[in-house]
Amino acid sequence: MIRGWRLLPCALLLAACGGTGSRPSLTIAINAGVEGDALKAAANEWAAHNSTRLEIVELPYANLFEKELLDLTSRTGAYDVIMMDDPWFPRLVENGSLAPLERQPDADFLTSCLDVCREPYRTGTYYALPYVGNSQLFFYRKDLFDRYGLAEPATWDDVLNAARKIGAAEKMYGYVMRAAPGNAAVTDFMPLYWAFGAEVFDASGRPALATTEAFDSLRFMLELGKYSPPGYTGFNADEVSAHLLQSTAAMSINWPAWIAAMDDPARSKAVGKIAFAQMPSARRKGVAELGAWLLAIPAASKNRERAANFLFWATEAAQLKQAALRGNPPTRRSVFLDPALRARFRSFPAQLASLETARPRPRTPHWNEIENAFGLYLSRANAGSVSPEEAMRRAEREIAAIVQRGK
Amino acid sequence: MKALIKYVLAALALTAALAPVYWLFTISIKREIDQFASPPLWFHFQPTWRHYAASFSDGSFARYLWNSALVASVSTLAALALGVPAAYGLARLRWPGGWSAKIGFWILSTRMLPPIVTIVPLFLMMRSAGLLNSRVGLILIYTAFNLPFVVWMMQGFFREVPRELEEAAMLDGDSRMGALLRVILPVVRPGLAATAVFCVIVAWNEFLFALIMTQTGASTTLPVGIASRVTQYEINWGAMSAAGVVAMAPVLIFAAAAQRYLVRGLSLGAVKG
Amino acid sequence: MTRSLQRTWPGVPWVAPAIALLLALSIYPLLYAIQVSFTGRAGEFTFSHYVRLTQDKLFLQALGQTLLYTAVALAIEFVLGFALALLVDSLPRGRGFFRAGLLAPMLLPPVVVAVIWRLIYNPQFGVLNGTLRAMGFNPDALTWTSGESSAMASVILVDIWEWTPFLFLLLSAGLQAIPQEPLEAARMDGASSWQIFRDILLPLLKPVILLAILLRAMDLMRIFDQIFILTQGGPGFATETISLYIYRTAFRFFNFGYAAAMSFLGLALTIVFARWLMRLMKVER
Repeated sequence: MIRGWRLLPCALLLAACGGTGSRPSLTIAINAGVEGDALKAAANEWAAHNSTRLEIVELPYANLFEKELLDLTSRTGAYDVIMMDDPWFPRLVENGSLAPLERQPDADFLTSCLDVCREPYRTGTYYALPYVGNSQLFFYRKDLFDRYGLAEPATWDDVLNAARKIGAAEKMYGYVMRAAPGNAAVTDFMPLYWAFGAEVFDASGRPALATTEAFDSLRFMLELGKYSPPGYTGFNADEVSAHLLQSTAAMSINWPAWIAAMDDPARSKAVGKIAFAQMPSARRKGVAELGAWLLAIPAASKNRERAANFLFWATEAAQLKQAALRGNPPTRRSVFLDPALRARFRSFPAQLASLETARPRPRTPHWNEIENAFGLYLSRANAGSVSPEEAMRRAEREIAAIVQRGK
Repeated sequence: MKALIKYVLAALALTAALAPVYWLFTISIKREIDQFASPPLWFHFQPTWRHYAASFSDGSFARYLWNSALVASVSTLAALALGVPAAYGLARLRWPGGWSAKIGFWILSTRMLPPIVTIVPLFLMMRSAGLLNSRVGLILIYTAFNLPFVVWMMQGFFREVPRELEEAAMLDGDSRMGALLRVILPVVRPGLAATAVFCVIVAWNEFLFALIMTQTGASTTLPVGIASRVTQYEINWGAMSAAGVVAMAPVLIFAAAAQRYLVRGLSLGAVKG
Repeated sequence: MTRSLQRTWPGVPWVAPAIALLLALSIYPLLYAIQVSFTGRAGEFTFSHYVRLTQDKLFLQALGQTLLYTAVALAIEFVLGFALALLVDSLPRGRGFFRAGLLAPMLLPPVVVAVIWRLIYNPQFGVLNGTLRAMGFNPDALTWTSGESSAMASVILVDIWEWTPFLFLLLSAGLQAIPQEPLEAARMDGASSWQIFRDILLPLLKPVILLAILLRAMDLMRIFDQIFILTQGGPGFATETISLYIYRTAFRFFNFGYAAAMSFLGLALTIVFARWLMRLMKVER
């Protein structure tokens, strides 16, 4: 009896040390979401055509960053192609962790998208190619605006005014935003912050959050919060969109990825009623925040050439058109101007205008930690546990400490 | 009358314990429109197996399942292979100066180490050994994880067995190891089974080490695979629930089958050990 | 020489392989981690991480939240678990059935538990708010894990659901192991149930109670899995425990040295806490 049992562990051990195939392979780390889905589909196509064994690793946003950071810094070479959100770029490109591109991207790509793929920003070598050209749009219920004689909001005061009016007249919230501490709060706050003339870092690179502009912008956010659903201090993207879809809120900053859902009768109670405007202005002209997804190749990858081939193929105009049909805003001008796509996506002109002038978040390798601290105080200020001035001052101190520690 | 109240209370407790589990199961077999219907549908809905098909259609979930099963079973066998002799040695053989208790306590204390303390060094060690993103690496870690528990539990069981048993076998010419395998182990079989079941459950459920040590489908286990479905934006509730049911089914089946041994095993280990 | 060694230490070859594995995979990493906690960014020896610990308000907050979580969860789990153990033990029939069913939550993978409760807690689509809505209430203000003030309570509730069975199991086992004669004798002497409970049952169960509390407390102090999936420490910092903060520092901010220093302080505190607990119960171990 014992003898037979002894065979089982040996068999299992052999099975555990499973071997790998001998076909060429490509491992891609993607974001679990609509952006990753498009890349997944494209990758499967490419792999079939090139008889390559494909391995897709799909991870949620935060964990994707952790895994990629770990892989790049310890040079494990587990991934051949990685998807990254543009704010991660300064951190991931450090210490030669990414392979520089051997070919130069062509001029059809939008400059704002290409700029974030270079180290140093805007002028240096290319380390990535832009795959998804996301920049924020201002979503608003045109039907309700028409009903109450309101024009498309051009300034944040217009927005507050409309929120007040609509919130009082209809059984819904005038505005909805996400203020969950961290990425959610900061991402929705940046356009407002910039519109009031505030900056995260001043000209000499020091954190500058304790300025009057900064205080004013946060105070305005709290004012807007009065017309938002309770609990917004814990909202993430899906809560915000749920309110728009369920027709319980009239306006919000949002990303183009949600446009398809807004016009989907199976999911939306506001089909065809939502319009998309540029970011409202205040003291400065409104500018959207850039949220591009980039594709890059880890330096430790064992399949760099194959990865580069895939990268350039996936960002060709024809492929980006396919990705657009799957819900991903493109990064090439020609694709935005494609008549078939313009007919299909009524928001494309607005998106192109937004993307061309979009601003990326501050280019610093510590952005993750900074966003964490900044978002924490933003959320606290919105929850009322700290005053706006105090929140900004503490955020500034914390950010200064983060930068100092990183030196 | 008093008995009836007791049964009602016990039934309430049982419902509280099992209702969430049942709810997960219903989400996994409901169509999307029914999943978030208001009022919530507990029984009256049309079932569909679509989510299970979708979960397993792209092949990755089957892989995670296989990885989990393999890693859990091999690491348990390894933990038993190392831990049973150690427990026997500590329980039965002579140890000068109270060393038996000292070593036993020291082995048990390694179990008290929070995983977060050793995870970074282990990651670096595994990387140097080329065992990152491999099932073998996970097996090693889980074996070390479960070893203290095996030693602790089996020590208690061995102490219950009368010495005459193996002494008789050894008088007949058997070696001590032979006596252990042929005479003692069959006697402590329930305890051994309970210990084995616990080890499998711990390895099957483990999350943190698997999260850090695995990078691709080559080694990703089921818990990590499920967690990766929880996205920032839309959560695919159907697929996630289906995966969750698959992840918990073996555990529940195992536990139901070994329920009697589990209670007896824990009571001996906890009360006597 | 070996023969006399073998005579005095016959157990060594039996224990050696196990100890070797533990040395390699538990002790060595521990020592390595200690070294890392004293290593600065450029590889130099430094106390800076430990110094920073004394000023880090976030660490203190995480510590406080961990202690709160531990205390509340442990107290409720213990009382509930004990009550259930007494209840099930006193049932005339079907004890095994109830015991098997009540065990289920603690055996589930913590990931699955987190998924289940995310389903339940979701403010728009979850069954909790859905049921409340169906009953006519407006649960919009009940944001459970999304709200900064309710997140901690929501997360503790999940822990109670998941781990009360553990205490139930241990205390059940303890109840089964105690001799029945003193109880019978006391009952025949006319003692009330409360008197039997307080004067006979509790003292007999003391070792098991201490073990149960100790084991559970240690596991609570290093809680990670469920909170990671449920809230990732959020909203913001509301449910951040020590383990989560260490994880965040190590893998998101990539500061291994500081993470190592924090985990040692956490470990030291856990050991102190455990010894205090044992002294509180006044049992020698």
